[in-house]
Amino acid sequence: MTQPVQQAFNPYTENGGTILAIAGADFSVIAGDTRQSEGYSIQTRYAPKVFRLTDKATLAVNGFAADGNMFVKKVRQRLEWYRHAHAKDMPIRAIARLIQTMLYARRFFPYYVYNILGGIEEDGTGAVYSFDPVGSYEREACRAAGAAQSLVQPFLDNQIYFKNQTPAPGTSFPKHLPLFTVLPLVIDSFTSATERHIEVGDGLEIYVVLAKNSDSLQGLQAIGGIQEVTANTDGERTFVIRRDLKKD
Amino acid sequence: MAGGVCIADCQYWETYLGMHCRLHELRNRERISVSAASKYLSNLVYSYKGMGLSMGTMICGWDKTGPAVFYVDSDGTRLKGDLFSVGSGSTFAYGVLDQGYHWDLSDEEAQELGRRSIYAAGHRDAFSGNTCNLYHVKEDGWKFIGNYDISKMHYEGPGNVPGAPGGGYGYDLRVEGRSSANPPPVAATA
Amino acid sequence: MSIMDHNGGSVIAMVGKDCVAIASDLRLGNQALGISSNFQRIFPVTDRIYLGLPGLATDVTTLHERLRFRLNMYTIKEEREIEPETFAHLVSSTLYEHRFGPYFIEPVMAGLSKTPSGGVKPFIAATDLIGCLNFAKDFVVAGTASTKLYGVAEGLWEPGLEPEDLFETISQTLMNAVDRDAFSGWGCIVHVITKDKVITRTLKARMD
Repeated sequence: MTQPVQQAFNPYTENGGTILAIAGADFSVIAGDTRQSEGYSIQTRYAPKVFRLTDKATLAVNGFAADGNMFVKKVRQRLEWYRHAHAKDMPIRAIARLIQTMLYARRFFPYYVYNILGGIEEDGTGAVYSFDPVGSYEREACRAAGAAQSLVQPFLDNQIYFKNQTPAPGTSFPKHLPLFTVLPLVIDSFTSATERHIEVGDGLEIYVVLAKNSDSLQGLQAIGGIQEVTANTDGERTFVIRRDLKKD
Repeated sequence: MAGGVCIADCQYWETYLGMHCRLHELRNRERISVSAASKYLSNLVYSYKGMGLSMGTMICGWDKTGPAVFYVDSDGTRLKGDLFSVGSGSTFAYGVLDQGYHWDLSDEEAQELGRRSIYAAGHRDAFSGNTCNLYHVKEDGWKFIGNYDISKMHYEGPGNVPGAPGGGYGYDLRVEGRSSANPPPVAATA
Repeated sequence: MSIMDHNGGSVIAMVGKDCVAIASDLRLGNQALGISSNFQRIFPVTDRIYLGLPGLATDVTTLHERLRFRLNMYTIKEEREIEPETFAHLVSSTLYEHRFGPYFIEPVMAGLSKTPSGGVKPFIAATDLIGCLNFAKDFVVAGTASTKLYGVAEGLWEPGLEPEDLFETISQTLMNAVDRDAFSGWGCIVHVITKDKVITRTLKARMD
């Protein structure tokens, strides 16, 4: 007699990739690579993981791509309903709480996704909110998630929070870094992750959300290949910077 | 209130409990008792029993009956007591807590015991650490006492706070006097 | 949980300009419980070679003793000090002898080898637990914080670092990596090997 064999359906896949967000004093940077893989196979070299939600909020999703795309779709639907009901965009701290309740609603069949929400708070400060798959969340100054989280996060601890560094006598470390320090750190983080992690590479998309009348605007428009994704220029403004990463 | 284990469960249901405590206040023109608040949570998690919720919480407060501490976990256990510790480093904290506990601790002594207990857990347990938040609940509500870096407590102590003996909790007592680089403090000359 | 993670611990080695550095944490644990904050897992082999042994603590001691024996036999037979390249192969073959019941150690070594012109050439290498050699030109890592070490080292390291800059780079890499690893930390030690001296420093690191 043959033994009974347990059959099981696994509804989840891990699609690799890495996302990262850093908050500044009056801006927020949200970045993600564009490779989508399954095991050792690359499904596509261009699958965006970072999505603009409103003029002042951008969401990065990483993990199971199918769940991620569906989750972004549902968040956008809820934000549209909010616009119809209140004739304004939902503030980012409210979007963060909305995402918590949406994720926790699926506590017993989770969206297999790590979310990082970046944007501008109502008081004009840069904000980053990070989530786990079932909705626990926290506001932070910087966060990496996904396949190369373990490679990138300690580097960011060192370069953003100045962990294990001592300021020169009589000086102190800045609480927030300027945009032109942050952008090279983001690019370096992804080139490093691409070098050592097989699931990271192909392309890089960096979203920059600027607060109203931010000083960072002038220099930002000089960056090659930058593209604005906001229609009106009087409020918060969102830009995308695209860069190539190694494809091997 | 404090929680451990599955962060999302604790964060979500503790927020939810907070909402219902506020609703109780609005409906009954009176703050909810510690006993009722903890029972609300324990009944709630019990209704999800077997579905995989994972929480360990302590609900601390002051009501008509005086000070009270309840332990509530996701199995549905609810215990009243005067000394609890929860989480992966709880055994380390209990070690310090048990040897330092008195029924009539002063405010400062109690705060120092709590701080020292969490330091012990943060130091010895791989999954605990970083910083410690300290709250004190009295008749007129809770008060945030401070946030303490565990490594700083190890080397330098919690700083100039009431109840602390001064000096690091862990470093000096291990290395002082063992080499010429770390001489013991010079005894006061007469 | 893997046997390799039972006691925790990590080692990293880096190449600089006419110098090399090797560094590790000082934790010895039993799963989540920290036991010792002074567990040395880096050993001097010769005046110019250091060996780091991250992995199962019992095998750290045993393998160290076994390599010390084989090294002494080599030194007596050859009547000269071993070269780093040769030592790397000695480590590799010692591990491969136990192919089907291995020591749970992933050794990392750093040293300076002699050049024909009388100068020195930096040398680093690492192997897996059955002795597959990796001769890297930049840095090698091993232990429970290896993924974190790769990430930070890839971001901080650059070619041609002078001894003091190499010390800073390896120290920052190690400390920031082990602070994100539950099983590594509890103090760090760094050795910088140069042509005429070895600088050893114990770092003030996080203790949680």
